[in-house]
Amino acid sequence: MSSTATTPVIDVERLNVEYGDFHAVKDLSFQVQRGELYALLGTNGAGKTSALETVEGHRAASSGTVRVFGQSPRDRAAVRPRTGIMLQESGFSPDLTVAESVRLIGRLTQRTDRVERLLDIVDLTSKAGIKVSQLSGGEKRRLDFATAVYGSPELVFLDEPTTGLDIQSRDHLWHEVDRLREDGSTIVLTTHYLEEAQQRADRIGLMHRGVFHREGTVSELTRTLPATVRFSLPSSAPDLPLPATRESDGTFLVETTSLQKDLHVLLNWAQDRAVELRELQAGPTRLDDVFRSIGSEQNA
Amino acid sequence: MFAIAQSELIQVFRNRLVLVTMLIVPAASSAFYMYLHDRIPGLDLGAVAAVLMFLVVAMGLYTTAVTTLASRRQNLFLKRLRSTAVDDTRILSGLLLPVTAITIVQVAVILTVLSVVADPPAELLLLVAAVLATVIMMLGLALATAGVTNSPEHAQVTTLPILVGVLAVSGWVGFSGTEEFSLVKRILPGGSAAELVVNAWNGGVAFADSLVLLAPTLAWVVVAVVLATRVFRWEPRR
Repeated sequence: MSSTATTPVIDVERLNVEYGDFHAVKDLSFQVQRGELYALLGTNGAGKTSALETVEGHRAASSGTVRVFGQSPRDRAAVRPRTGIMLQESGFSPDLTVAESVRLIGRLTQRTDRVERLLDIVDLTSKAGIKVSQLSGGEKRRLDFATAVYGSPELVFLDEPTTGLDIQSRDHLWHEVDRLREDGSTIVLTTHYLEEAQQRADRIGLMHRGVFHREGTVSELTRTLPATVRFSLPSSAPDLPLPATRESDGTFLVETTSLQKDLHVLLNWAQDRAVELRELQAGPTRLDDVFRSIGSEQNA
Repeated sequence: MFAIAQSELIQVFRNRLVLVTMLIVPAASSAFYMYLHDRIPGLDLGAVAAVLMFLVVAMGLYTTAVTTLASRRQNLFLKRLRSTAVDDTRILSGLLLPVTAITIVQVAVILTVLSVVADPPAELLLLVAAVLATVIMMLGLALATAGVTNSPEHAQVTTLPILVGVLAVSGWVGFSGTEEFSLVKRILPGGSAAELVVNAWNGGVAFADSLVLLAPTLAWVVVAVVLATRVFRWEPRR
């Protein structure tokens, strides 16, 4: 393998971001490899925007090092031609048209692309000639995405890309992200839609109060918490074959690290005793369970 | 830089308020001064030229530049531009180039008309130097003022001290000369530039003596740029 292939696209080491007395990001370290989709998730005020903006180069680190393509992200001339950034808020000039906005930002990225192609991707072709001020919130997000992927950059930052988008627009957006990834682009994503991260991220960094609480693949993260089986029983039911807790609404909760085996035991027990397991739900741990557990750990 | 300048020019001509502020108000005010000149015999032509220039540069360039920067910051357009490969100097140059070019053209046209309807300037090079120094000074002051301006609406307040100040100083220096309070008049922003315009237009002062008057104006450029580097913000305060 060449050194380019093994060098991480993003290398963050002991990053600290402080605003006066407030320590927004504390000793954050992570790497993003070429071609990965890395999701930076966190609770509100977790510091992910501060971390992301520092990695993007919009903000200076208080301490620690951030390298993007082996360079400081503050060196715009070196890094930005290879980077597309979709900001959390639009930031377009209201008096420019949609096409003019894409063309302007595109020219400033120093990459080449066709404005018509990008407007087609985000379904704004029919609005090419209207002013940005006349777009809806969702349309502005789509315009933002179009400028971020102008010229198919090697690295794309997507800061809450699907907020305010309808299902069809989301599908179009993810389709284009998939296309970029097929071409080898690296994606850094923040989102409040955990199912998007669970479905698409190769690795996830979970932030809370300025630090990483967990980092890894979805299965690595969810593996740390047991899977759950929920059901309710008639009042005359015999003793359960597995340890279970009774919830406040009367349902039973079984937590297990061997979902298939324990579910099998439970179903056999119910079959043998002719017990109906009402409202039976069983499934692996989801990302939102991991997310909730962070808050619980902090409160404990 | 030129892509940004091109987009700014498009926006200038689409925004009626900016267009009125930048084109019609200074032009109408200048026409009024010329009207006065025709009717007041013995009016100091150099002083009229100085006041006209400051009127256009202060109202057309300074206030528009502050308003533009505040507006572009407020709607996060500055942040958007900083997401690209363009460096900060080129972003600011691109944003301010159209309004600067329009102002220089306006000043050139107005002073040309003045020289045609009255008398031409005695020292054209000196006049050009004075205009350019004033433009640079007002751009520096605009950057500094934009740093303490939260929104385009706020610019109506924050620009007033310098706007009124330089207009008053240019009028004071232009019409009363610098024989009295010469040091004060020359170190105030716009004072030495106004005197330079008067000397350039009326003549009678050694070229080298007039050229020294560039120093206070350039000192104000330095002060303004230092202030701007400390207070200018690229994103809205949160």
